[in-house]
Amino acid sequence: MAMKVELPQKGFNFENFQRNAVLADKGYKAPKVTKTGTTICGCLYKDGLVLGADTRATEGPIVADKNCEKIHYLAPNMYCCGAGTAADCDHTTHLIESKLELHRLQTGRPSRVSTALTMLKQMLFRYQGQIGCALVLGGFDVNGPHLYTIYPHGSTDKLPYVTMGSGSLAAMAVFESRWRKDMEREEAAELVKDAISAGIFNDLGSGSNVDVCIITADGVDYRRGYDKPNQRGVKEQSYKFAKGTTAILTEDIRQFVDVVEGDAMDIS
Amino acid sequence: MEYNGSAIIAMKGKNCVAIAADRRFGVQALTLSTDFKKVFQMNERVFIGLPGLATDVQTLYERFRFKTNMYKLREEREITPSTFARMVSSTLYEKRFGPYFCEPVIAGLEKDGTPYICTMDLLGCITTPADFVVSGTASNQMYGMAESLWEPDLEPEELFETISQSLLNAVDRDAISGWGAVVHVITPERILTRTLKGRMD
Amino acid sequence: MSDRYSFSLTTFSPSGKLVQIEYALNAVAQGVTSIGIKATNGVVIATEKKVPSFLVDDSTMEKVSLICGNIGMVYSGMGPDARVLVDKARKSAQEYKKVYHEEPPTAMLVKEVATVMQEYTQSGGVRPFGVSLLIAGFDDTGPSLYQVDPSGSYWAWKASAIGKNMINAKTFLEKRYSSTMEIEDAVHNAILTLKEGFEGQMTESTIEIGIAQLEEITTKEGKKEKVGRFRKLTPSEIRDYLANIA
Repeated sequence: MAMKVELPQKGFNFENFQRNAVLADKGYKAPKVTKTGTTICGCLYKDGLVLGADTRATEGPIVADKNCEKIHYLAPNMYCCGAGTAADCDHTTHLIESKLELHRLQTGRPSRVSTALTMLKQMLFRYQGQIGCALVLGGFDVNGPHLYTIYPHGSTDKLPYVTMGSGSLAAMAVFESRWRKDMEREEAAELVKDAISAGIFNDLGSGSNVDVCIITADGVDYRRGYDKPNQRGVKEQSYKFAKGTTAILTEDIRQFVDVVEGDAMDIS
Repeated sequence: MEYNGSAIIAMKGKNCVAIAADRRFGVQALTLSTDFKKVFQMNERVFIGLPGLATDVQTLYERFRFKTNMYKLREEREITPSTFARMVSSTLYEKRFGPYFCEPVIAGLEKDGTPYICTMDLLGCITTPADFVVSGTASNQMYGMAESLWEPDLEPEELFETISQSLLNAVDRDAISGWGAVVHVITPERILTRTLKGRMD
Repeated sequence: MSDRYSFSLTTFSPSGKLVQIEYALNAVAQGVTSIGIKATNGVVIATEKKVPSFLVDDSTMEKVSLICGNIGMVYSGMGPDARVLVDKARKSAQEYKKVYHEEPPTAMLVKEVATVMQEYTQSGGVRPFGVSLLIAGFDDTGPSLYQVDPSGSYWAWKASAIGKNMINAKTFLEKRYSSTMEIEDAVHNAILTLKEGFEGQMTESTIEIGIAQLEEITTKEGKKEKVGRFRKLTPSEIRDYLANIA
């Protein structure tokens, strides 16, 4: 019971909703949420599949994170790229990850991609598109490799190569012109890299680095920062300030002390 | 965010972190106080800055204080900044469809002393960069300052100057934040807290 | 309204005892023996797998269960009751992970399970669980072994035994236990303890063993890391241990 005091109630809490609506009426809009402008994609190849993502997160026109992670873990044999509202992607994938783990413990066998797909689409459909996740789901299970896209409203596609996010058109152009059946592993990784790069350089919502995740029957090869085409230049000068530059009004120093066990108190 | 105005920034240094905030409390253009607390200490090595709607700042602080105290009592250990950040994130996402208007900044040292900083949006999407984080109405200005001033491996005193200058110069170009500032530098040995002299207009 | 009439079945006897809990302990004492030993670098829990008839397919039986990445448990007593607790423990582990994004510390999970068991000694319309549990986990504080009883009380142990043969097993463990023992020795000793009073042939299909220790894993981000893990020994691993004993 003690834990219940702190644990959130099941589901979402709407208690601030009305207040926020009043504030919005008066012209105080909610702060912008972090979006993953995003290019994400995936494609099947001979022995499995490759997922790819860029690493830019945006808040309106501002780059909120230059190296974020968009390929989320779902299960040891399954990963999921997320585009859209970043908080929704993070929490939705984490929720499904948790459900899959319970399911695995209960059934005693590896999760299937179709299980994750059904969980995700049912959840997103239930929320009628209000949870803004566009996902690329990929995994390898007893039935082989699977690649799906899931739209925020809960519809899904199963295709040999898929793209999502604002850079999806640029990435799809690369796939449409160069994807072939039964490609080799490194060839597929390079193709995914090029598709993501097309998004990075042609879509303003996508940027920074390329993350790639290769999933086969033998396991997962997650290559974070597979390609870094946008490294920051080295600063030529240091902009350190001399000590005392900033005018101080008050100062308070709290020193940590190591508490050593002293002698036992005399209680005789 | 624009109702009260605020500016909070945190930076990583060499074995230390710093977090700084402005001290204005105002309602739109009317300044009501210049000693408003926006950065709170959760335990010896974890600080949280809460920029945004002032009522939410205080509500959230009380909730997090309750939660960290409960954590300490139950688990008989101090919460680490990364775990604390996850807890804050879950708390915010719980109100996904009626969020608090606040984008927290967390700074602290992990159990092994590694610096940790992060920020999140009002829905609880965590961002953990390697250099600095900013949040509040002056965030655009602070991005500019910090991008140019920050460099790796700053010592505590150097970090203090860098973060102070980044904040002070940024809020000078934001009408609804500023009016003095407070900086905390957290090192494994001590916590240094200084209030800064800033423009009062 | 129905709860108005559902009184607790567990009521104090005039001498201050809760006989229902003592009866529950009797149910445990009839259960198959389970052993737990904490070593310097890990914990082991082991139990006997007893089937009512050799016609039962014992490959589907599971008495040592995984709760989450770093924690596992074994029971003595009533199987169906234990299953309920395993389900609840797994769920509360996931709830912990949902908030903090990390595996729960062993002590926290034990507290949760113990809380559930206590509730069933005081609520209306229910009876106490007819099981004792041994919970083994590896967290930031290292390895730990806990025993939880039907009353909801729990203790951390260096080594413990529950079930039918617990008294003899505990005496045996008191003789064999050493504080410098490592995990391989602990597994060895757990098997030897089980062997005391074991009826029939001890094979890899008649005992179950789970261990919690540091293991190198690949994190979600693809990095290598050493973390506390709980896993069940495979039949072939158990066979190797058994071969060493014979």
